[in-house]
Amino acid sequence: MMTINVVLVMIIGFAGGLAVGSGFVAFLAVLGIIPRLTQLTKTMKMIHHYEAAVVFGALAGGLASLWNPVLFFTPYILIPLGLAAGVFVGMLAAALTEVLNVFPILAKRIGVDGKIAILLMAFVFGKVIGSLFQWIYFVNR
Amino acid sequence: MWEVSAMEKTVYIRLRHRLQVRPDGIILLKDIAQVIADEDIYEPLCKLALYRVTDNDRNIVVIDVMKVIRAITKTFPKLEVQSIGPAQAIVEVVTKKRKVSLPLFLLVWFLLFIGAALAIMNFHEDVSMQAVQLRIYTIITGEVDSKPLIFQIPYSIGLGLGMIIFFNHVFKKRLNEEPSPLEVEMFNYQLDLDNYVALHENKESMKRIDDN
Repeated sequence: MMTINVVLVMIIGFAGGLAVGSGFVAFLAVLGIIPRLTQLTKTMKMIHHYEAAVVFGALAGGLASLWNPVLFFTPYILIPLGLAAGVFVGMLAAALTEVLNVFPILAKRIGVDGKIAILLMAFVFGKVIGSLFQWIYFVNR
Repeated sequence: MWEVSAMEKTVYIRLRHRLQVRPDGIILLKDIAQVIADEDIYEPLCKLALYRVTDNDRNIVVIDVMKVIRAITKTFPKLEVQSIGPAQAIVEVVTKKRKVSLPLFLLVWFLLFIGAALAIMNFHEDVSMQAVQLRIYTIITGEVDSKPLIFQIPYSIGLGLGMIIFFNHVFKKRLNEEPSPLEVEMFNYQLDLDNYVALHENKESMKRIDDN
């Protein structure tokens, strides 16, 4: 009975991981962040390594959240880490607004085909200011 | 009527995808299409009037290639017309130069700004961003801090940077020569609109049973 339980739990856990992992990859694929980055840096040939980076990143995140390791590094490591995390989330947000076709329709409606870059900066500043406001002032209040 | 000497001659036309005209303007063949023809008929052919814009036409008129060919063969019966490319041209009637009103633009800008700020805060709450950041801080440094600003401020700046990298635009200046996804998206959207207009404003493109 015990063995069956263990095997069952293992199967359920594995199946759950499979579903979440494939969902994560599908999400990244729909948003097209990796192709966009390779296009910007002209490194199409390295795309398999980028795939590996995503897989190892997901594994590292999984390990860190399940294991609770403590590394005792200097806090200054958090500066590049935070920047990288921000760039990734920013690209997710940008890709999402693009998938939803917000800007073309908006620009068409108010007739500012030429000034779309300025509208874009409204988004960018809004994200930055909103995030700063939240972390510096809004939390714990 | 223009008598074309002896042999039949071929003229090639290629309709433009889109063109703009003034209200009550006359659309000539050279406005609506690229033309290749013999020198002796090229000039009169180019000046052939195809359509006069009236007040009844609102801001879009679709001209089918069949209409163009019919007009050409009516005036130049002996010409053989070869059409290459799109089957219809979309004529946009430009009443006056559309000016963007500055207050409206500022309003939209402000709306987007506030909306983006609110959306990112909601997103952070939704995905428990603060809890994750606190845990990352503890994992890396071994200390507990309820406000790990050393992580959060670079994160916030990176957020803006990521959007700029994705769209490849800093105001008017672009980071690299390729079109940005936004420009491609704008182009695709315009193409979709044009396709819709080409089929729906063009009475010849559909035939129904009740004929109306």
